[in-house]
Amino acid sequence: MPLHRGHHEQAQVALVLFCVGPYRTALEARHVLAMTDHPTAPRTANAQTLLYEGGDHGSPPNRWLTLRDAQAASDNNSTWQLGVSGDITLQQLPANTLYPLPKLLLSRRFSTALCGLTFVQQQLVLLLDARKLNP
Amino acid sequence: MTAEFPRNGEANDQPPATQTLDEALAAHGDAEAVVDIDEPTQQLVLFRLNGQPFALPGSAVSEILSSDQPVYYVPGLPSSTEGVLHLRGTIESVISLHRLLGLPAPEGNSKGMILLVSAAGITSGVRIEQLDDVCEVTQSMLQAPPETLSGTLRPYVSALWQIDEQEALALLDPEALFDAYQQGLG
Repeated sequence: MPLHRGHHEQAQVALVLFCVGPYRTALEARHVLAMTDHPTAPRTANAQTLLYEGGDHGSPPNRWLTLRDAQAASDNNSTWQLGVSGDITLQQLPANTLYPLPKLLLSRRFSTALCGLTFVQQQLVLLLDARKLNP
Repeated sequence: MTAEFPRNGEANDQPPATQTLDEALAAHGDAEAVVDIDEPTQQLVLFRLNGQPFALPGSAVSEILSSDQPVYYVPGLPSSTEGVLHLRGTIESVISLHRLLGLPAPEGNSKGMILLVSAAGITSGVRIEQLDDVCEVTQSMLQAPPETLSGTLRPYVSALWQIDEQEALALLDPEALFDAYQQGLG
Protein backbone atom coordinates (compact mmCIF):
# COMPACT_ATOMS: atom_id res chain seq x y z
CA MET A 1 0.00 0.00 0.00
CA PRO A 2 1.57 3.32 -1.00
CA LEU A 3 2.38 5.78 1.71
CA HIS A 4 0.90 9.24 1.35
CA ARG A 5 2.24 11.93 3.59
CA GLY A 6 -0.15 14.71 4.41
CA HIS A 7 1.03 18.27 4.81
CA HIS A 8 1.14 17.82 8.62
CA GLU A 9 3.11 14.58 8.25
CA GLN A 10 5.93 15.92 6.07
CA ALA A 11 9.42 14.53 6.66
CA GLN A 12 11.50 16.10 9.37
CA VAL A 13 15.26 16.05 9.96
CA ALA A 14 16.70 16.09 13.48
CA LEU A 15 19.51 18.65 13.74
CA VAL A 16 21.84 19.80 16.49
CA LEU A 17 22.19 23.58 16.27
CA PHE A 18 25.11 25.53 17.68
CA CYS A 19 27.33 28.52 16.85
CA VAL A 20 30.59 28.63 14.95
CA GLY A 21 31.90 32.09 15.70
CA PRO A 22 29.01 34.43 14.90
CA TYR A 23 27.30 31.95 12.55
CA ARG A 24 24.45 29.64 13.50
CA THR A 25 25.32 26.16 12.28
CA ALA A 26 23.80 22.67 12.38
CA LEU A 27 24.79 19.03 12.09
CA GLU A 28 22.47 16.10 11.56
CA ALA A 29 21.73 14.79 15.07
CA ARG A 30 22.43 11.15 14.20
CA HIS A 31 26.11 11.97 13.79
CA VAL A 32 26.43 13.62 17.20
CA LEU A 33 27.20 10.96 19.81
CA ALA A 34 27.63 13.16 22.89
CA MET A 35 28.30 16.68 24.15
CA THR A 36 30.78 17.73 26.84
CA ASP A 37 31.96 20.98 28.39
CA HIS A 38 35.60 20.05 27.99
CA PRO A 39 37.47 18.08 25.35
CA THR A 40 38.01 14.45 26.34
CA ALA A 41 38.93 12.81 23.02
CA PRO A 42 42.53 12.61 21.83
CA ARG A 43 41.56 14.28 18.57
CA THR A 44 39.75 17.62 18.59
CA ALA A 45 39.22 20.56 16.24
CA ASN A 46 37.71 24.01 16.58
CA ALA A 47 34.82 24.27 14.10
CA GLN A 48 35.91 27.78 13.11
CA THR A 49 39.25 26.58 11.77
CA LEU A 50 37.51 23.88 9.73
CA LEU A 51 34.88 26.14 8.22
CA TYR A 52 36.53 29.34 7.11
CA GLU A 53 39.86 31.02 6.67
CA GLY A 54 40.93 33.07 9.66
CA GLY A 55 38.64 31.07 11.93
CA ASP A 56 41.58 30.20 14.18
CA HIS A 57 41.56 33.80 15.46
CA GLY A 58 38.02 33.50 16.84
CA SER A 59 36.88 32.93 20.39
CA PRO A 60 37.62 29.49 21.86
CA PRO A 61 34.83 26.90 21.86
CA ASN A 62 32.88 26.25 25.06
CA ARG A 63 31.16 22.98 24.03
CA TRP A 64 32.53 19.82 22.44
CA LEU A 65 30.42 17.58 20.22
CA THR A 66 31.59 13.99 19.94
CA LEU A 67 31.43 12.72 16.36
CA ARG A 68 32.27 9.37 14.83
CA ASP A 69 35.55 9.49 12.93
CA ALA A 70 34.50 9.19 9.28
CA GLN A 71 38.13 8.98 8.18
CA ALA A 72 38.80 5.86 10.24
CA ALA A 73 38.12 2.34 8.97
CA SER A 74 34.49 1.31 9.13
CA ASP A 75 35.16 -1.30 11.80
CA ASN A 76 36.90 1.27 13.97
CA ASN A 77 34.72 3.01 16.54
CA SER A 78 37.09 5.92 17.08
CA THR A 79 35.63 9.34 17.69
CA TRP A 80 36.78 12.93 17.73
CA GLN A 81 35.39 16.16 19.15
CA LEU A 82 34.28 19.32 17.41
CA GLY A 83 34.60 22.54 19.38
CA VAL A 84 31.58 24.84 19.06
CA SER A 85 29.94 27.65 21.03
CA GLY A 86 26.61 29.29 21.76
CA ASP A 87 23.34 27.63 22.68
CA ILE A 88 23.22 23.96 21.68
CA THR A 89 19.70 22.90 20.72
CA LEU A 90 18.13 19.82 19.16
CA GLN A 91 15.48 20.70 16.59
CA GLN A 92 13.34 18.83 14.10
CA LEU A 93 13.15 20.88 10.91
CA PRO A 94 10.93 20.12 7.89
CA ALA A 95 13.03 18.49 5.16
CA ASN A 96 11.65 20.85 2.54
CA THR A 97 13.13 23.85 4.35
CA LEU A 98 16.68 22.48 4.10
CA TYR A 99 18.31 23.75 0.92
CA PRO A 100 21.45 22.45 -0.78
CA LEU A 101 24.28 24.94 -1.24
CA PRO A 102 23.76 26.73 -4.59
CA LYS A 103 25.65 24.97 -7.40
CA LEU A 104 27.92 27.90 -8.17
CA LEU A 105 29.31 27.88 -4.63
CA LEU A 106 30.08 24.17 -4.37
CA SER A 107 33.51 24.44 -5.95
CA ARG A 108 34.46 27.63 -4.08
CA ARG A 109 33.67 26.70 -0.47
CA PHE A 110 36.54 26.60 2.02
CA SER A 111 35.18 23.39 3.51
CA THR A 112 33.39 20.64 1.60
CA ALA A 113 31.48 19.99 4.82
CA LEU A 114 29.35 23.08 4.10
CA CYS A 115 26.54 21.32 2.25
CA GLY A 116 23.40 23.39 2.68
CA LEU A 117 21.52 26.26 4.24
CA THR A 118 18.28 26.80 6.08
CA PHE A 119 16.50 29.52 8.00
CA VAL A 120 15.38 29.27 11.61
CA GLN A 121 13.37 32.25 12.85
CA GLN A 122 14.57 34.17 9.79
CA GLN A 123 18.20 33.58 10.73
CA LEU A 124 20.51 31.82 8.27
CA VAL A 125 21.79 28.45 9.50
CA LEU A 126 24.77 26.71 7.85
CA LEU A 127 24.22 22.98 7.36
CA LEU A 128 27.31 20.79 7.74
CA ASP A 129 27.91 17.24 6.61
CA ALA A 130 29.57 15.62 9.64
CA ARG A 131 31.20 12.96 7.43
CA LYS A 132 33.14 15.65 5.55
CA LEU A 133 34.56 17.36 8.63
CA ASN A 134 38.22 16.47 9.05
CA PRO A 135 39.82 17.09 12.44
CA MET B 1 -0.49 45.71 -78.26
CA THR B 2 1.75 47.15 -75.62
CA ALA B 3 2.33 50.79 -74.85
CA GLU B 4 5.90 51.88 -74.56
CA PHE B 5 6.81 54.73 -72.28
CA PRO B 6 9.58 57.00 -73.30
CA ARG B 7 12.62 56.60 -71.07
CA ASN B 8 15.04 59.30 -70.07
CA GLY B 9 18.46 58.74 -71.44
CA GLU B 10 17.36 56.56 -74.29
CA ALA B 11 19.17 58.87 -76.56
CA ASN B 12 22.44 58.22 -74.77
CA ASP B 13 24.66 55.35 -75.65
CA GLN B 14 25.16 54.38 -71.98
CA PRO B 15 22.00 52.92 -70.41
CA PRO B 16 21.20 54.45 -66.99
CA ALA B 17 22.04 52.45 -63.89
CA THR B 18 18.99 50.69 -62.55
CA GLN B 19 17.92 50.86 -58.95
CA THR B 20 15.03 49.45 -56.99
CA LEU B 21 12.51 51.71 -55.30
CA ASP B 22 13.80 50.55 -51.90
CA GLU B 23 17.32 51.54 -52.83
CA ALA B 24 16.19 54.89 -54.18
CA LEU B 25 14.21 55.71 -51.02
CA ALA B 26 16.96 54.52 -48.72
CA ALA B 27 19.45 56.74 -50.51
CA HIS B 28 17.40 59.79 -49.51
CA GLY B 29 16.92 58.84 -45.91
CA ASP B 30 19.19 57.97 -43.03
CA ALA B 31 20.36 54.57 -44.18
CA GLU B 32 21.44 53.58 -40.65
CA ALA B 33 17.98 54.19 -39.29
CA VAL B 34 16.41 51.63 -41.62
CA VAL B 35 15.96 48.38 -39.74
CA ASP B 36 15.02 45.24 -41.54
CA ILE B 37 12.21 43.91 -39.39
CA ASP B 38 12.95 40.41 -40.59
CA GLU B 39 16.45 40.56 -39.18
CA PRO B 40 16.82 38.49 -36.03
CA THR B 41 16.97 40.50 -32.84
CA GLN B 42 18.29 39.79 -29.39
CA GLN B 43 17.02 41.11 -26.10
CA LEU B 44 19.71 42.61 -23.91
CA VAL B 45 19.73 43.70 -20.30
CA LEU B 46 21.99 46.74 -20.13
CA PHE B 47 23.71 47.63 -16.89
CA ARG B 48 26.84 49.21 -15.47
CA LEU B 49 29.67 47.93 -13.35
CA ASN B 50 32.12 50.51 -12.12
CA GLY B 51 30.55 52.97 -14.53
CA GLN B 52 31.30 50.79 -17.55
CA PRO B 53 28.43 49.59 -19.74
CA PHE B 54 27.82 45.85 -19.98
CA ALA B 55 24.96 43.64 -21.12
CA LEU B 56 23.71 40.13 -20.59
CA PRO B 57 21.38 38.30 -22.98
CA GLY B 58 17.79 38.81 -21.91
CA SER B 59 17.23 35.08 -22.38
CA ALA B 60 19.63 34.43 -19.49
CA VAL B 61 18.12 36.96 -17.09
CA SER B 62 14.99 35.61 -15.48
CA GLU B 63 14.41 38.34 -12.95
CA ILE B 64 15.64 41.76 -11.87
CA LEU B 65 15.58 42.08 -8.10
CA SER B 66 15.49 45.38 -6.25
CA SER B 67 18.37 46.62 -4.14
CA ASP B 68 16.48 45.97 -0.89
CA GLN B 69 16.40 42.20 -1.50
CA PRO B 70 18.07 40.72 1.63
CA VAL B 71 21.35 38.92 0.93
CA TYR B 72 22.71 36.65 3.67
CA TYR B 73 26.48 36.39 4.12
CA VAL B 74 27.91 32.85 4.08
CA PRO B 75 31.41 32.37 5.57
CA GLY B 76 34.08 30.27 3.92
CA LEU B 77 33.53 31.59 0.39
CA PRO B 78 35.61 34.01 -1.71
CA SER B 79 35.05 37.74 -1.36
CA SER B 80 33.42 37.79 -4.80
CA THR B 81 30.53 35.84 -3.27
CA GLU B 82 28.25 38.33 -1.62
CA GLY B 83 26.06 35.64 -0.08
CA VAL B 84 22.75 33.98 -0.77
CA LEU B 85 19.21 35.15 -1.20
CA HIS B 86 16.04 33.35 -0.18
CA LEU B 87 13.62 33.67 -3.04
CA ARG B 88 10.21 32.02 -3.02
CA GLY B 89 11.34 28.70 -1.57
CA THR B 90 14.77 28.51 -3.21
CA ILE B 91 18.23 29.64 -2.22
CA GLU B 92 20.37 31.34 -4.86
CA SER B 93 23.93 32.59 -4.68
CA VAL B 94 24.76 36.26 -5.24
CA ILE B 95 28.12 37.01 -6.80
CA SER B 96 30.03 40.10 -7.88
CA LEU B 97 31.70 40.14 -11.31
CA HIS B 98 34.21 42.89 -10.50
CA ARG B 99 37.23 40.68 -9.78
CA LEU B 100 36.47 38.38 -12.69
CA LEU B 101 36.26 41.33 -15.10
CA GLY B 102 39.30 43.07 -13.64
CA LEU B 103 37.29 45.99 -12.27
CA PRO B 104 37.95 47.71 -8.95
CA ALA B 105 35.49 46.93 -6.18
CA PRO B 106 32.69 49.49 -5.91
CA GLU B 107 33.19 52.17 -3.28
CA GLY B 108 30.76 52.87 -0.48
CA ASN B 109 27.82 50.87 0.71
CA SER B 110 25.35 51.78 -2.02
CA LYS B 111 23.94 48.58 -3.46
CA GLY B 112 22.45 48.22 -6.89
CA MET B 113 20.03 45.67 -8.19
CA ILE B 114 20.54 41.94 -8.59
CA LEU B 115 20.08 40.15 -11.91
CA LEU B 116 18.98 36.54 -11.54
CA VAL B 117 21.01 34.85 -14.27
CA SER B 118 20.70 31.26 -15.54
CA ALA B 119 23.24 29.51 -17.77
CA ALA B 120 24.67 26.02 -18.12
CA GLY B 121 22.19 24.63 -15.60
CA ILE B 122 23.25 27.14 -12.94
CA THR B 123 21.23 30.03 -11.55
CA SER B 124 22.84 32.82 -9.55
CA GLY B 125 22.22 36.39 -8.63
CA VAL B 126 24.67 38.86 -10.12
CA ARG B 127 25.05 42.20 -8.38
CA ILE B 128 25.02 45.23 -10.66
CA GLU B 129 25.50 48.87 -9.77
CA GLN B 130 23.01 50.37 -12.17
CA LEU B 131 20.34 49.02 -14.50
CA ASP B 132 20.29 51.05 -17.73
CA ASP B 133 17.72 49.42 -19.97
CA VAL B 134 16.19 46.26 -21.35
CA CYS B 135 16.06 46.49 -25.12
CA GLU B 136 15.98 44.57 -28.40
CA VAL B 137 18.88 44.97 -30.80
CA THR B 138 19.38 43.47 -34.23
CA GLN B 139 22.14 40.90 -34.57
CA SER B 140 23.92 43.10 -37.12
CA MET B 141 24.46 45.74 -34.45
CA LEU B 142 26.55 43.31 -32.44
CA GLN B 143 30.15 42.97 -33.56
CA ALA B 144 32.73 40.36 -32.75
CA PRO B 145 35.03 41.44 -29.92
CA PRO B 146 38.14 43.11 -31.39
CA GLU B 147 41.64 41.77 -30.89
CA THR B 148 42.41 44.89 -28.90
CA LEU B 149 39.94 43.96 -26.17
CA SER B 150 41.76 43.43 -22.88
CA GLY B 151 42.83 39.90 -22.10
CA THR B 152 40.92 40.06 -18.81
CA LEU B 153 37.61 40.75 -20.53
CA ARG B 154 38.06 38.70 -23.70
CA PRO B 155 37.06 35.26 -22.32
CA TYR B 156 33.74 36.64 -21.10
CA VAL B 157 32.71 38.98 -23.94
CA SER B 158 30.72 37.45 -26.78
CA ALA B 159 30.08 40.68 -28.70
CA LEU B 160 30.43 44.44 -28.66
CA TRP B 161 27.74 46.97 -29.36
CA GLN B 162 29.06 50.36 -30.43
CA ILE B 163 26.38 52.51 -28.83
CA ASP B 164 27.85 55.74 -30.18
CA GLU B 165 31.24 57.13 -31.13
CA GLN B 166 32.22 57.44 -27.50
CA GLU B 167 31.00 54.25 -25.93
CA ALA B 168 30.93 50.54 -26.70
CA LEU B 169 29.04 48.03 -24.61
CA ALA B 170 30.35 44.54 -23.89
CA LEU B 171 27.86 41.68 -24.15
CA LEU B 172 28.88 39.13 -21.53
CA ASP B 173 28.64 35.37 -21.94
CA PRO B 174 26.97 34.10 -18.74
CA GLU B 175 28.11 30.53 -19.32
CA ALA B 176 31.75 31.64 -19.54
CA LEU B 177 31.35 33.75 -16.41
CA PHE B 178 29.91 30.90 -14.34
CA ASP B 179 32.46 28.44 -15.69
CA ALA B 180 35.35 30.72 -14.75
CA TYR B 181 33.89 31.37 -11.34
CA GLN B 182 33.61 27.65 -10.68
CA GLN B 183 37.22 27.20 -11.74
CA GLY B 184 38.30 29.56 -9.00
CA LEU B 185 38.64 32.79 -10.97
CA GLY B 186 37.19 35.99 -9.59
